[in-house]
Amino acid sequence: MDDSAKRLLQRLVRRIPTQMLRDTLDKWERLTAKQRAFVDFTQSKWTITQELLAVCEERELSVKHIAELEMIYVIGNPNQGMWHTFQLVDAEDDAHSLELVQFKEQFKSHLSELKRNVAVKIKKHTDEAVWIRIAWGDTFSRPNHLKATYVVHYLQTPFVFVSGLLSKHKPLLLQALTLSTRHQGIKDANLSGQKLTAIRDLLMRQYQHVFPTKYPSPLAERNRSVSNLHIENEQAEASANRHRMAGEAFGNGMLPALQSAVYKLETKFRDLTNETMTERDKPLRCVVKFSSPNILESLRHCASTGIASTPVTPLLSSIPLKGRNYFVITDNAPSASSQMCQTQD
Amino acid sequence: MSLLNPFNKRPGLNTATILLVENEEQFQQSLANVLVEETAVTVNVRLAKTLPLPMKNDESRPRIDLVVFIINLTLDKSVKSAKASLKYLDPGYFLGKVCFMVTNARQALGCTGRLDAVRQLAVSLHCPVLFAEDQTPEGVTSSARRLLTILKVASGLVPNTTALYLSNLTRCAMPPDIDQPSFD
Repeated sequence: MDDSAKRLLQRLVRRIPTQMLRDTLDKWERLTAKQRAFVDFTQSKWTITQELLAVCEERELSVKHIAELEMIYVIGNPNQGMWHTFQLVDAEDDAHSLELVQFKEQFKSHLSELKRNVAVKIKKHTDEAVWIRIAWGDTFSRPNHLKATYVVHYLQTPFVFVSGLLSKHKPLLLQALTLSTRHQGIKDANLSGQKLTAIRDLLMRQYQHVFPTKYPSPLAERNRSVSNLHIENEQAEASANRHRMAGEAFGNGMLPALQSAVYKLETKFRDLTNETMTERDKPLRCVVKFSSPNILESLRHCASTGIASTPVTPLLSSIPLKGRNYFVITDNAPSASSQMCQTQD
Repeated sequence: MSLLNPFNKRPGLNTATILLVENEEQFQQSLANVLVEETAVTVNVRLAKTLPLPMKNDESRPRIDLVVFIINLTLDKSVKSAKASLKYLDPGYFLGKVCFMVTNARQALGCTGRLDAVRQLAVSLHCPVLFAEDQTPEGVTSSARRLLTILKVASGLVPNTTALYLSNLTRCAMPPDIDQPSFD
């Protein structure tokens, strides 16, 4: 086993918690049962590393196989690192009938044309996602497996999720993706987060929606239960309206665990009590960041309890509606896709 | 103006009605569940977020004997909303038929300003301030019991006592200034 393989294995053992390490090794299926039994997982990580190194040497595994192990781990635990989303635009006619084998071949060939010495591994997950692991090298050096880029793409959708991409490799990856998926362009979708499952569910709208209806509630019950007869909510209708509007804006039930929303403001300062600041012509640049373990839940709660006014302002409701969490807000801009009109002060 | 009036409706027989006004709409629900369990008197509970109350409920609404403003001291909006709702009460209520119930006084260590503001408000209106603990069932039960005591008097169900007499005993007093020396 060469140096890079050893280093990658060491790095991996350090990164993966022991319990998950055992399951990941089982899924990997490159070690025999006897070898797996040989590794004692109750020991310290250093000991485990040494034992694994010995076992992998026996099997003569190379860096490609260790890369496979890393990929299995990342596929099983995708909610780490920072994922960014891109959207493919202008599909050509045969984009919709693209199938996996064709995509794989095209992607590998395009990427190798653009850059020599890249190690690409493509794997199809059970839920229709195509996972791609790319280790970048160049004409003079071997692929660097320690800093691999991961790409997740759902075939026939225009969305691509990328993690661990350096800016110098970005144009190459994007070009390879665009060509191999038979589209004409790709743009930044302005959605990023730590949890891949959350941003994927948000973008593909995999949560319970509430559709606006003209007659929201069924006929009122005539016989209320005994305990409630003496308790009456005076403003029940207003409260129910708020709940309904909050649900329409954000959805019902469990919402995808998006963790931050960033608004970059390039608007003029507006405050009637502060003359000096309001006089300035140039816009006041500032960035507002919301973060929470589950931002959509928090916003929905704000709307339904009246902290945020209902109907929910488009500034907030665009997060689930447009599936983005990075916005640039300017004063009264014409309706361009990344800008919105200034509403409140 | 749609002022809530304490004396423009006839009282019910052996009935008392209490109105709980709370911006957060949390504590009022658990309080209401305990209040209706009272057996000696029929207790009606009306819940609201702010005043004024919607006009369309006016006819079906019984005479309200006691208005309780529930204020969460950790939230500024709670205090502001209660203050804004006070305007919609007929002055007749301030003769012992209004009460302030304050929660989270222990957590509000940095917010003594709010507690003082609520106290001053209560002093100027001659109303009592009750401190309540809303997280445990025992806290909810004890607050409900105290409210029931005041409610029974305010609805005239306790002989020889009126709300005005009781308010003289329960009204909030501003604590003396700490800077001022006690004997001079």
